[in-house]
Amino acid sequence: MPDLVKLTIDGKAVQAAPGTLVIDAAKMAGIEIPAFCYYEGLTLQAACRMCLVEVEKMPKMMTACTLPVAEGMVVRTETPQVAQARKYTLEFLLTNHPLDCPVCDKGGECELQDMVFRYGAGESRYTEEKVHTPEKQFSPVVFFDAPRCILCFRCVRICNEGMGVGALGVIYRGVLSEIAPNHGDHLECDECGACIDICPVGALTSGIYRYQTRPWEMQHVGAICTHCGDGCKTTLGVRNNRIIRGNNRDHSGINGEFLCIKGRYAFDFYDHPERLQAPLVRKNGKLEEVSWSEALDTVANRFNQIRADGGTFGVIGSNHTTNEENFYLRKFAREVLATPHIDHHRTGDVTALVDALSGKTGRMATVADLYNRKAVLVLGADLAREHPLLSFQIRANYRHHQAHVYAVTPGPVREDKYAVASVRVASGGYFAALEDLRARLKAEPELVIVFDDSFKGPDVHRLVEFGESLGIPVRYICLVDYSNSRGALDMGLVPGEGGMRLDEMLAADLSALWVVGANPFKGTPGVPGSVARKARFLVVQDLFLTETAEQADVVLPAASAYEKSGTVTNTTGEVQRLKRAINTMGAKPDLEIMGFIARQMGAAGALGPWVPETVFAEIRRTVHGYDIPLPEIDTGGAAPTTPVNGRVTEAGGPRPDLIRSDHNGLFASGTLGRYSKVLNSVLEGRLDR
Amino acid sequence: MPNKIEDVFGVAAAIAKGMGVTFKEMMSPTVTEYYPDEPAKFEERYRGAHVLQRDANGMEKCVACFLCAAACPADCIYIEAAENTETVRISGGERYARVYNIDYNRCIFCGYCVEACPTDAITHGHGFEVASFNTSTLIKRKEDMLAPIPPGAKPPVIAPAGGPAAH
Ligand code: SF4
Ligand code: SF4
Ligand code: SF4
Ligand code: SF4
Ligand code: SF4
Ligand code: FES
Repeated sequence: MPDLVKLTIDGKAVQAAPGTLVIDAAKMAGIEIPAFCYYEGLTLQAACRMCLVEVEKMPKMMTACTLPVAEGMVVRTETPQVAQARKYTLEFLLTNHPLDCPVCDKGGECELQDMVFRYGAGESRYTEEKVHTPEKQFSPVVFFDAPRCILCFRCVRICNEGMGVGALGVIYRGVLSEIAPNHGDHLECDECGACIDICPVGALTSGIYRYQTRPWEMQHVGAICTHCGDGCKTTLGVRNNRIIRGNNRDHSGINGEFLCIKGRYAFDFYDHPERLQAPLVRKNGKLEEVSWSEALDTVANRFNQIRADGGTFGVIGSNHTTNEENFYLRKFAREVLATPHIDHHRTGDVTALVDALSGKTGRMATVADLYNRKAVLVLGADLAREHPLLSFQIRANYRHHQAHVYAVTPGPVREDKYAVASVRVASGGYFAALEDLRARLKAEPELVIVFDDSFKGPDVHRLVEFGESLGIPVRYICLVDYSNSRGALDMGLVPGEGGMRLDEMLAADLSALWVVGANPFKGTPGVPGSVARKARFLVVQDLFLTETAEQADVVLPAASAYEKSGTVTNTTGEVQRLKRAINTMGAKPDLEIMGFIARQMGAAGALGPWVPETVFAEIRRTVHGYDIPLPEIDTGGAAPTTPVNGRVTEAGGPRPDLIRSDHNGLFASGTLGRYSKVLNSVLEGRLDR
Repeated sequence: MPNKIEDVFGVAAAIAKGMGVTFKEMMSPTVTEYYPDEPAKFEERYRGAHVLQRDANGMEKCVACFLCAAACPADCIYIEAAENTETVRISGGERYARVYNIDYNRCIFCGYCVEACPTDAITHGHGFEVASFNTSTLIKRKEDMLAPIPPGAKPPVIAPAGGPAAH
């Protein structure tokens, strides 16, 4: 540890590591230096002059956001000169600023408002007419109101550095400077909204939230994004039982401030007009709306009858439902329906990884590892499209720690820009490419290997052998697609001894097939038309009338992840808590639906109460690796599971051919993505398909 | 017995003075209001039922900034905002109040909302006859509170039939 630098700020003795900026040193000492353009983690800009401070022996005031601490430095932040500088800077920023606060979306959480309130000049001496430029729409997501912009360039930097997109720039000079999108009149980018959230003022606003409400009118509920497997925390703004916006401005959770378009805006499927709000039962060949009690009776009676007749049940679980629901479903299938035929759509071979790592501990990497470890090897996946958070973490790691990134992928990826080695491989060529990289990887102090479904079964074992042969600490991430793909596997939604797998169940002549939150009949991607059902009785729980639900005998309308409580496990095996944000009339959480079916069947006693907390307590007791510290997840954090440390066997032997990722791009999210207005409205989404 | 005489005169003087007031008031114009036979009169600053004002063009002044709702100590103002568009233009700003309700079960006529309003949209009128046997009628909607369109005003765009209308 290098020696600390000693300096004085406002008479307070402060110690800071060499290279620390005065603004950060002051913050550590509890002294606030106001700033607009300075943003932790981004490059320095020194554009706004809000952070001016007096430094002894320096002739002029200095910008605290660019000044590194020095031994014996004496800094003053509360002198009349500094107060005057702040006031004048604000007055200057306000010269052409419109009096828009009452209609501005930022009003109430605007940094400019706060600063003027605190340091500023309440009155303007500027009497000339202000220059007005009309508001522009850059994309369905991003709107720009130039007069409100204070030219702090945070948006330009987050897009370029944080997202690695670089879609925003500045045109013209001086007083005419303006933020402009990459395609002249419109944006083609990730549509992530990071620029909107980082804007200190209301210059960038979102098409989704615009003019809907004001920040203080909403309740803010911490939820976990229900789209990809990365598990970003998204804070939902709720008013009158409606979700109005999503963001993560408090930087909590594993994702910090990061969210992609799906986490920030694609909550909008919940009030899609096609959302199911009443149970459906097939009568004379047609699905008809019925009451909940009638639908539940139909299911329970039929299930009981099949049980009495000794028929076979098949159960297909979901990649989106909570751990509690998956656990309860498995218990239901095994104990009440007494069937080994249970599975879910597998999107990555986590089982093989855990198996290959048996006997070793602490080898599963977390999301934080991608930011902290010195080298990352990406195999197969186009992370920026399929796992945006992981891609963001690696980018930040490179920017802040100059991490060495290796990308071995079939096509070009965003990581190429800063990777120390980018290798293009055809399928089957991975191990040859890895051998070529062996010497360089060996020279790394540590490594995180991220791989997708290009590695399955024996390949995973071979990959782990390769990793272990490097002689350096290696951690692994096996990518899975959806918000709780990992949890579905951990909760045991896999066939028991002699059980059928998903594809086999679809083709089998089952007495009943029960599909909870999945769409297995949608057919293969790219091939139109769905698979026809074989099972004699089909029960489906879902949000929408999917290809699977359309063929069902009973459809039970389910609640989405934002409408229920529970826990989910992300692709790196970190558990986080969901909190219910809203209720949708008519729909029920899957756990409740399953509980009601059990009750109607007279089997509830065997399964215990269908209360998320109670079920989770049982998971912590009985599921290996889930005995995680509760305070961690109850305070909105993530707790990594410690997966089984021993040989993992799959009943009936591994079937890697049945594991396939959907490879959803940035603007797709399996079946759910179809029902999001915003994902379907952005131009890039249409280009991406 | 000078005291007795003084007493008599004193009483007589008091009676004369009292009757003087009586006769004076009998002759002067009456101040008693004949409410409800005649409309009640108020001082300008009287805080009665609210009126939502319009500008000279007949547009609603309210831009749905929610500041009145934030200022209200009784939490009785409920607003839903919406954006003005090319075809539907209700207020002068970018945004207007699609729904604006005041719950007169709770309003304490403190005037804080009026104080908070940046556009002088919400004002206290002189309406005071808000009593009702049915409390559910005490939630007044925007339509109940809006000032009439000033004569001669031409709102730039009138909402199409079925849409939120300019009243
Ligand atoms: S950016 Fe801030 S100061 Fe400017 S109009 Fe909006 S709320 Fe007001
Ligand atoms: S939405 Fe995201 S990708 Fe698009 S310009 Fe803004 S920061 Fe860049
Ligand atoms: S749009 Fe916002 S973030 Fe971008 S430069 Fe202007 S004020 Fe800063
Ligand atoms: S990266 Fe994944 S989890 Fe995060 S916001 Fe995007 S879709 Fe959601
Ligand atoms: S009445 Fe005034 S304070 Fe209330 S929302 Fe409308 S403009 Fe804002
Ligand atoms: S914060 Fe230092 S110049 Fe902007």
